[in-house]
Amino acid sequence: MNRILVWDLPVRLGHWTLAASFAVAWLTAESESWRNVHVAAGYVFAATIAFRLAWGLVGTRYARFSSFVRGPKAVFSYLGSLLTTRPQHWVGHNPAGGWAILGLLGLGLVTAMSGIAAYNDFGGELFEELHEGAASAALALVGVHLAGVLVGSLAHRENLLRAMFTGYKNGEPVAAIRRQAWIAAGLQAAWITLGAMYLKQVVG
Amino acid sequence: MLKQALVATLLLAALPVAADTPQQLIAGYAAQAASNQPGFVPSAERGRQLYMNRFALADKMPNCAACHTEKPVAPGTHVITGKAIQPLAPAANPERLTSSSKVEKWFKRNCSEVVGRECTAAEKADFLQFLANGG
Repeated sequence: MNRILVWDLPVRLGHWTLAASFAVAWLTAESESWRNVHVAAGYVFAATIAFRLAWGLVGTRYARFSSFVRGPKAVFSYLGSLLTTRPQHWVGHNPAGGWAILGLLGLGLVTAMSGIAAYNDFGGELFEELHEGAASAALALVGVHLAGVLVGSLAHRENLLRAMFTGYKNGEPVAAIRRQAWIAAGLQAAWITLGAMYLKQVVG
Repeated sequence: MLKQALVATLLLAALPVAADTPQQLIAGYAAQAASNQPGFVPSAERGRQLYMNRFALADKMPNCAACHTEKPVAPGTHVITGKAIQPLAPAANPERLTSSSKVEKWFKRNCSEVVGRECTAAEKADFLQFLANGG
């Protein structure tokens, strides 16, 4: 086993941008004094999700949806194996983690879009309730995600949290991705900045 | 799976909330207040004082009127975001004061930010009486 690159730069930057912007938006949710900060965090969050969806199609190996989205059989087989002495090991996302990612992206998208609608006084209470409900569901799923990171780290004796910072995990050299995707990360930063500014301009 | 969850959420959110009337809401808060102050009667005048009182805790939001204007039948403007706010008084906006959970939600948020504490049941009854009277 070697130290191999698994998470490229856009995956890691995107992950921490989503985590930070969600946290800021959550903490400022109920304050009118902080409303502009809440909204700006939401725009950053929305733009980051949009980039992640595209990166899930054209990104490096483990960033692609096709590499980690699996059916229920694989998910339950993985979860079942955690109870045994030989848990299945995946270099990228395990199948259960894959579902959590889809759930978080989906709930994040619903939260952002309903937030934009509610902020524009569009759709009345419907989108306000949906915004709060989806955000709460997303936070609950963040809890599941964190529990999964902890369980996965213990089961496989690898520090998954550190891997999301450094991009490196233990694995066979052949399983490594070859690039950090620096250019894509630059495009990502520009996309998020301009996207958030654009939303601010158009939505207010 | 995700789609079904989404549809379920949408349906739930679309369910009509048990409708309340302003008078029911006022009566509810008044009854709560009366348990501490026997003989409590809601007062639109005290409600107006609460509405206009400059607590000046939050820089740009010294009082309710800062965003909702001095007349709750008039549309307001959010002083931080500049977004339009529908009138608070049911006379001008029949959707107001029709959901106890929504009324509670906004008392909770705005009292803590503008008044600096939770509002009492008596204050809520007075405030709603003020709005129900059209300001």
